[in-house]
Amino acid sequence: MSDTVLTVQGLQKSFKNQQVLHDVSFTVKKGEITALLGPNGAGKSTTIRSIMGILYPDQGAIHFTGEKEGQIPKHKIGYLPEERGLYKNVKIMDILLYFAELKDYPLKKAKERALSYLKKFGLEGKDKVSIEELSKGMGQKVQFIASIIHEPELLILDEPFSGLDPVSQEVFKEEIRLLAKNGTAILLSAHQMNLVEEMADRLIMLHKGKEVISGTMDEVKKRYASFKCTINGQNDKQQLLSIPGVTRVEQREHISVLFLNQDLNPTEWIRSLPSTIHIEEFRLDRISLHEIFIDVASDRTLSAEEEKSYA
Amino acid sequence: MRNSLKVARWEFKRNIKNKSFIISLFLTPVLFILFATLPSLLSGSGSEEEPVTVSVADSSGVWEEQVEPYIAQMELDWDVTVAATSPEEWQSSLEEDESAALIVLDEAAVRDGQVTYYTSEETPNSFNNDIQLLAQPLQQISLQNAGLTEEQMAVASSGIQFNAEELSTQGSAESGTGQESSTGLEGIIPGAFAGLILFSIVMTGMMIFQSASQEKKEKVSEIILSSLTPSDLMQGKIIGYFWLGMLQVGLWLVFALPFAIWRFNEFPIMEYLLVPELILLIVIALIGYLLFAALFVGLGATVEDISSTSNFQGMIMMLPFTPFILIGPILSDPSGLAAQVGTFIPFTAPAVLIMRLSMLEEWPWIEISIAIAVLLISVWLVMKLAGKIFEVGILLYGKNASFGEIVKWVRS
Repeated sequence: MSDTVLTVQGLQKSFKNQQVLHDVSFTVKKGEITALLGPNGAGKSTTIRSIMGILYPDQGAIHFTGEKEGQIPKHKIGYLPEERGLYKNVKIMDILLYFAELKDYPLKKAKERALSYLKKFGLEGKDKVSIEELSKGMGQKVQFIASIIHEPELLILDEPFSGLDPVSQEVFKEEIRLLAKNGTAILLSAHQMNLVEEMADRLIMLHKGKEVISGTMDEVKKRYASFKCTINGQNDKQQLLSIPGVTRVEQREHISVLFLNQDLNPTEWIRSLPSTIHIEEFRLDRISLHEIFIDVASDRTLSAEEEKSYA
Repeated sequence: MRNSLKVARWEFKRNIKNKSFIISLFLTPVLFILFATLPSLLSGSGSEEEPVTVSVADSSGVWEEQVEPYIAQMELDWDVTVAATSPEEWQSSLEEDESAALIVLDEAAVRDGQVTYYTSEETPNSFNNDIQLLAQPLQQISLQNAGLTEEQMAVASSGIQFNAEELSTQGSAESGTGQESSTGLEGIIPGAFAGLILFSIVMTGMMIFQSASQEKKEKVSEIILSSLTPSDLMQGKIIGYFWLGMLQVGLWLVFALPFAIWRFNEFPIMEYLLVPELILLIVIALIGYLLFAALFVGLGATVEDISSTSNFQGMIMMLPFTPFILIGPILSDPSGLAAQVGTFIPFTAPAVLIMRLSMLEEWPWIEISIAIAVLLISVWLVMKLAGKIFEVGILLYGKNASFGEIVKWVRS
């Protein structure tokens, strides 16, 4: 279940004089969901557009397994762009069949698939309706169907969850998981960390075009599976730093956040706290990917220091 | 190419199912026919005049035997009664709005050749001309009365005729300047046909602009481009709208040909239409289409919001209409300077060539070849440029491209 479908190696791209991608590398494997994360403007869409051959990278290689260098097997790829829309005054079924035809997918099969997916997404009987009569969410569902109508081997979804309500997000998540389970290689970009955390097998986080974090979800979780302790009370920063297991302390007024060593036993650590510490409130919790993401996005030092201390 | 055809089929089907396209498809020939017939129908019904009630006070007794047979041949719209009425009686018997006349043919009138006639207010002016026709039989009578022999009468009444004969400088056609067709229609019919094709496909060509611009606006292009290349998409659009244009021409012909044959039944239209020259005219029309289609597809990719286009884009939209400026000069002199200059400017060449070739009997082959060569080169050039513009422009969301940007894309 881990055949590589797509390899991206050392991607670089500049617009005008600004470099938007610095040496981005990752792989997408069959049956796995690879998440491309990052705040707006991190270079996610540029990476994806380069893969799709819509943009040409300045440097680096994009290789599809089984294809010649530089060849893009467009018929085997399903693509949901970030900027997406559909012909407004055309019947949904006609659009879906047109996209299937463009991918050389047999039309009869496409029609069956279209009907079953419409039903699955609660759009039964809407096949003869035009997009302008549907809500935005329904339109996105149709776009999603359009991207998978031809049973792609590789599915690339650029911000599939943007603009969806929570219920539709769940539906999409479920479907993406199911597709991966059935062997589709999936690359998706997102900025909703919590959504991705639950479903991705592998992730790569970009910030200002640079890779910040990458690896399998397990690796990343392990690396960042540390605790932080938040203490409300008047305490001296140096005293807090001298507590064993504490790697870094952030203080704001009388709230102190203590970042702890990775392989530390929380109960033992609490027991080892000196009695001189002033505690009004005490909280111990894990650093989530979400926090890392926020830190990365807001250019705070946390992740950088984490990288230094744990890499 | 296979991908282009898929796009072409799609664009074709999409428009065929579009109500506004269908309506305009059928409405245009109907309007055409309406405009062609309505004015003549209106004026026809207007000139439908009542016959003039003509009373002849024939005291000389010449009417029935000598004048009436002659008048009958002239098919005048007269309703003649012979009665001995005086002008006063006649006037009092006039009904309101009656179109009537009284001709007094007494001995004196016949003898002196001074015929007095009275008309009512409603009598048409044409009656004054019609009555002149009585001059000949009356003159004959007075000659007869003068005792001339048949021969003398023939000589006296034949008068002198002037026969016009126009001599043209036939056979002296030099350096490609031909002379104007004497019959006219022979050349004009294939020309009009090719003009119709050009007009129709250039109009559908303008729909390419809309199609590209709309695809950009609806943000579908990126999805489409994940399956094929920009040039596939562009070619597909050009082919698809070409089919639409041809369908339109075909349909219009189905309407227009029987109508034209019925309306102008005195001309053998089909015979004039199906001549070898038609092929060249159609070829010129098709090259013209390619030129404008490429232009519009490239332009469409730069425009997302038609209501905020720049002057630059507006000017290009006007290009297909530039030949209209030249219609006047070309009609007055199809080999003149304006016509020749128009022949060599790619954007006016198709229409100007078709106009000129319809009017010229002797075709200026050298000019035609140069013009077609210029056209083909421009088509190639515009296609290339349009390709570059299309490739970048179609994916640029959210704004219209400026002239500077377009220049940059072309250079890259």
